[in-house]
Parts: sequence; C-alpha cells; structure tokens
Amino acid sequence: MIRDIIVKWAPLLVLVFLVLLFPIFEWLEDFRAGKDHIYLLDSRFFSVRNASRIAVAATPGLMVAIGVTFIIIMGSIDLSMEGSVSISAVIFAFAFLALGGTLLSWAWLAIPAAMLVGAGIGFVNGLVHVVFRIPSFMVSLAMGFVGTGLALVLTGGDRIRIEDEVFRSLLTVRWLNFPIMCYVALLALLVAWFIQSHTTLGRNFYAIGGGEELAQASGLNVARIRVLGFALAGVFFALGALMAVGRIGIAETATGNNFMFISIAAVVVGGTALWGGIGGIPNTLVGILIVYVITNGMVVIGLPSWLQDGVLGVLVITAVVLSTSRKSISFVK
Amino acid sequence: MSFIKRFIEAETASRRNFLLAGAYGITGAAALRMFGPSPIMAMTYDEPTIAWSYRNRTNPYWNEIVSGGEAFVESLGKSKDDLTHLINEGSSEKSLADVKALLAKTDGKLALAIDTNDAPNARPVVEACVEAGAFVSTLWNKTDDLHPWDFGDNYVSHMSWSDEGPAEQTARILLDAMGGKGGVVHLGGIASNNPAIERLNGLKNALKDYPDVELLDAQPADWDTQKANQVMQGFITRYGDEITGVHCANDTIGYGVLEALRAEGMDVPIVTYDGNPQAVDLVAEGKILATVFTNPHWGGGITASLAYHAAVGHFKPSEEPAEHREFYGPTIFITPADAQEFKTNYLDNVPTYDWTDFWGPSNGQIMYK
Repeated sequence: MIRDIIVKWAPLLVLVFLVLLFPIFEWLEDFRAGKDHIYLLDSRFFSVRNASRIAVAATPGLMVAIGVTFIIIMGSIDLSMEGSVSISAVIFAFAFLALGGTLLSWAWLAIPAAMLVGAGIGFVNGLVHVVFRIPSFMVSLAMGFVGTGLALVLTGGDRIRIEDEVFRSLLTVRWLNFPIMCYVALLALLVAWFIQSHTTLGRNFYAIGGGEELAQASGLNVARIRVLGFALAGVFFALGALMAVGRIGIAETATGNNFMFISIAAVVVGGTALWGGIGGIPNTLVGILIVYVITNGMVVIGLPSWLQDGVLGVLVITAVVLSTSRKSISFVK
Repeated sequence: MSFIKRFIEAETASRRNFLLAGAYGITGAAALRMFGPSPIMAMTYDEPTIAWSYRNRTNPYWNEIVSGGEAFVESLGKSKDDLTHLINEGSSEKSLADVKALLAKTDGKLALAIDTNDAPNARPVVEACVEAGAFVSTLWNKTDDLHPWDFGDNYVSHMSWSDEGPAEQTARILLDAMGGKGGVVHLGGIASNNPAIERLNGLKNALKDYPDVELLDAQPADWDTQKANQVMQGFITRYGDEITGVHCANDTIGYGVLEALRAEGMDVPIVTYDGNPQAVDLVAEGKILATVFTNPHWGGGITASLAYHAAVGHFKPSEEPAEHREFYGPTIFITPADAQEFKTNYLDNVPTYDWTDFWGPSNGQIMYK
C-alpha cells in the first residue's frame, strides 16, 4: 500500500526535489565566492523568468509526449514522432507561405492542414498496425522514416523561415511573464486531459491497456479504437510541430530531431507504465517538466551537457523499476 | 683453440653481413618505392562511374557539397542523375561497405569523392579503392599519417579546412564590437568533432589579446538549432546581462541563439560560421555580425572533379607537388559591409566554376601540428 502511494507521487516528488536541488548548487557557488545569497530568493534558476524559459523549451516536447501517452496507455508504442513532427512542420510552413504568409490571411488554414497531416500519418500507422498485425513500434518507426524522407524531398534540405509577426507572437508576446505559446499548450493539455478522462474513447484506451482480451470480449471494437488512438496522437505531434516552428521560426527536416527520446523519457519518468493501463496526461506533464528542469538546471549550474543525457537515462530506468511490481510480470521481452 | 676462434669470428661476420644485406633489401626496396613511381602503374578509364559518399542531405552543409558534385557532373554534359550517391547516415561501417559494393559493381572503374565519416575509416576506404584500381579524393576526414602521395596515382587528393584561424578572426570582430570588455559565451558543435574543437580554440586564441573579456561558459549545442536555443536559455538564466557577446560554432546554432535572445528582448552581438544563405541574409540585416563562407559547393564539385580527371588520365596525380595533393579549402569572411555583394556573387546566382581549375581557390598545403 505504502509502495503504491510512493509510486503514485514519486514523479512529483522528483520534480520538487530537482527544483529545490539546483538552487542549492547556486547557493554553494556564491557561498564559495563569498557573495551574499539567500537560498531560493536570490536564485536565478528559481525565478519566474526562468520558469517561463523552461516552459517555452518544454511546450513542443509536451505536445509530442501527450500524443504518445495515449498510445502507451493502450500498451502500444508510437515511434513516428520525429518524422511526423518534421513533415507536419514543413507542410505547415509551405502552406502558410503559399496562402499569404501571415496569420491574418487565409494562411491560418495551414494550421488545420498541419494537424490533418499529423492525423493522416497516425491513421496510416494505426491501420497498418491493426490490419497487417505488425507490432506498433515497427510500423511507427518505419512511418517516422517515411515522414523524415518526405520532409527532405519537399525542402530539398533547405530551411523555411516563418517571419510573420502575428504567428511569432506565440513567442514574443507575453501575458503574466509567459509567452502565448505556453497558454496554447495549457489549453491543449486540458483538451487532452478531457479526452482521457471524460470521453468514451479515453476510457477505452485504458480498457485496452488494462487487458486487451477482456476489452475485446466485452464487445469493444479494439481495432477501431487503436486506429483512432494513433490518429489522435498524430494530431498532437502536429501541434508539437507548430510549437517548434513558433519557437524557432524555422521549419526544416531536422525540426523533429530528438523528440523521440525526450517524449518517451517524459512519459516514462512521469510514471505511465510502458505496458499500458496506468498513468495519464497529468503524469506526462510532470515527466516533461522533469526532463526540461534537468536540461535547464544543468546548464544553469554549469555542468557539462554529456551528464544531462546520462542523468536522464538513469532516471528513465529508475522510473521503470519503480512503476511496476516485477513479480507480477512473467515475461520480459 | 684458434680455429674455434676463427670459426666464431667468421660466423659473426657472415651473420652481420647477412643482417646488413637483409636490412638493405627491405629499406632499399621501400626507399625505391618512396622515391620512384609506384611499381603498379595506375590504369585510367574512359567512362568511370562518378560517385559522392557523404552523410545525408538533411544537413544544409552537405546539401551544398553534393549540389557542387552535381554541378560538376552536369558540366561534363551528363545528367545530374549520373552522379551516384552513397549515403552513410553517419555510419563508418556503412560508408566502407557501400564503397566496397560499388567497387565490385564498377570493377574499379570509379571516380569517388568521399567524406569517410570519421578519420580512422579513411585508410580502409582508400586501400580498398587503390586495390581495385579506382580513383579516390577525400574531404574533411583522414588521419594525419595517411597521405595521397603514398598511394601513387589512385589516392588523388585530400581537402580540408582549418577553422582555427577563421574562427579567431570572427571572434576578434565580435570582441571589438563588444568594446573589448564584458562576457562572452560559446555554443559549440558536437564536442568530439574536429571543427567544433578548432572553432572554440579560435575564440580562445583571440581572447588572449582581450584581457577584459571573460569567457563565461562554453557548451556543446551539437550543431542543432533547437538544442542551441535551450542551451542559450540556460546561459541567459545563469549569466543574464553579463553576456555581452555570443560566439557560435556554426550558423544553425546561431539561429537558435538569435531566437532565444529575441524571446528575452535582448540585443547582443553574435558571430557564426559556414555562411549558409539564411545566415548571410541575417548578416545583411545586421543581426549577425560575421560569418565565414567555406564554399561547400566548390568543395563538393572540385573533389569529384579531381577524382574524375585523374581517372580519365587528364593529369597524373603523382607528378603533382604535395600542395596539390593535400590542401585547405577556401574561406571567405562575410560582414554586414559586404554581405549584399557576397549574396549577389555567390548565392543568388551560383557561380559557374571552372572545374578544371583544381587548386585556384584553395588555401595552401595542409600543415600538421
């Protein structure tokens, strides 16, 4: 029982611990240098400005991680995020420029277009996975490569700049110290949470993850839900692409780079179990914050960056070990 | 007893002679080979297959390199599809395996331009080509002990860039713009990459003459825009307004830095490297202070051209001086004053190069430390 409570709250505890840990290093540094430094109050890391920096850095990753959370709850995995993000970003950029190049014209249509592209890739992922009975990791990994390849063909290796001030206000305009993109991400987060806990589709994800045979026997159309799940994930990957373009102002084949490790690490560190049925959107929010607090904090306290990946790796393994009772699993493959 | 003594003396002498003779035999043959032409005469071909082996086209830099290769092939009156692409995706094993497969397919009738992905892979690639009678020119990666002149005609040439000097000069432009005081941060490439190391060294060399400027921090950003954006955010948190200048290892890093500064409403001078078209635009707008153009288009074309012209026998590499076998590529500085002119001359219309002027724009023989 106690173990269950610890497991449930461990990710949040880790996050709080990290947030309190980095200021200690700052305090130590100033203490050694003989400067006045009140713990937390004088911390550069523990400040609203830095919180907004971490939030800005985390928004694209959060969108992608939310997408893959749905899939992991079902007990499948989607590895197409890097390709999906790249192709969605590139198609968004081309459509945006072709339709007028500013959000105040028909170019806004590029946003739903990008989300359709994401949904389309997810739909194909799900369909191939279900119809041909190919493991989801293989299908989605391959689709990811297809996405990256398509993005490369479309751009010819060039980068596309989105200069529109209105679109870029996602980053440049701030409400209460946080750029608009953070509020957009918050809205998407609430929508995702609503889908997870207040719609039949969301509940069915848990049903499949908890026990697929049982769900099938209860009359659920498992195949249909799986396909819908992958399409939904694709929409969130596309949202991640929009955020990534909003943050940098550039769409390119490399836009999707690194999202695979970051998003899956975030989901797992947040406490969502890889075999499904356990965890959810709030866990993913905590997970992505852990990932980006580490990335930011390491630079702030001046640790070499190769340590970041190492620390994240250790955290992922610890999270997986903590989040399950090993005895209840008969096979590990 | 004297006959025993004589016997021993005689034996010792003959053994010494034998050893000496043996030693001469080995070194003498080697010396002959060193000074004379290779005993195996290189065969040339009328219609060799032309191939470029590289990482991939996702990276704008490699995209430029390969477009140069295609421009060269088109200059021969062929279609650009006649250039064979071997894409190693960052794997040295794949790089070598692909070369061997192509050597088998073409029976050695091959003019190969290649970046072998990492330095140790250059030797097996070159040896495979030499053995098959193909002609190979390398770019960027090779170990210091591997030289074209040790392989007769078949290892045609090696081109590389020394980034330390140019990076030092951009650093000086930056440090002058900072008024010779304040704090500078450096965002580097993948930590183990040679250009990343050289570009940071360039900054450090320049800093020796600016005692009032402090190098606040240097972190790798892996040549990646998004990563650079995050690292710069961290720097801003840690150092805030102490940062009065940013030295970036390349243009892609610079884009991420500019956006991080923009999000904070900060205006700090930055310098980059590589001279990508977008960076040149930003230099013209005054957002980047300086970048360095290494003309990858020319580099990609001329590397393929050297291998091709050696393969068809238009020149004999072994008769060329050392500075024509191992040489530095060109570097051009771009500052706001000349960005527009540079753009017109090099980017808006890619110049038509004379692909038989092999060494005109090059930058002298490669020096080893």
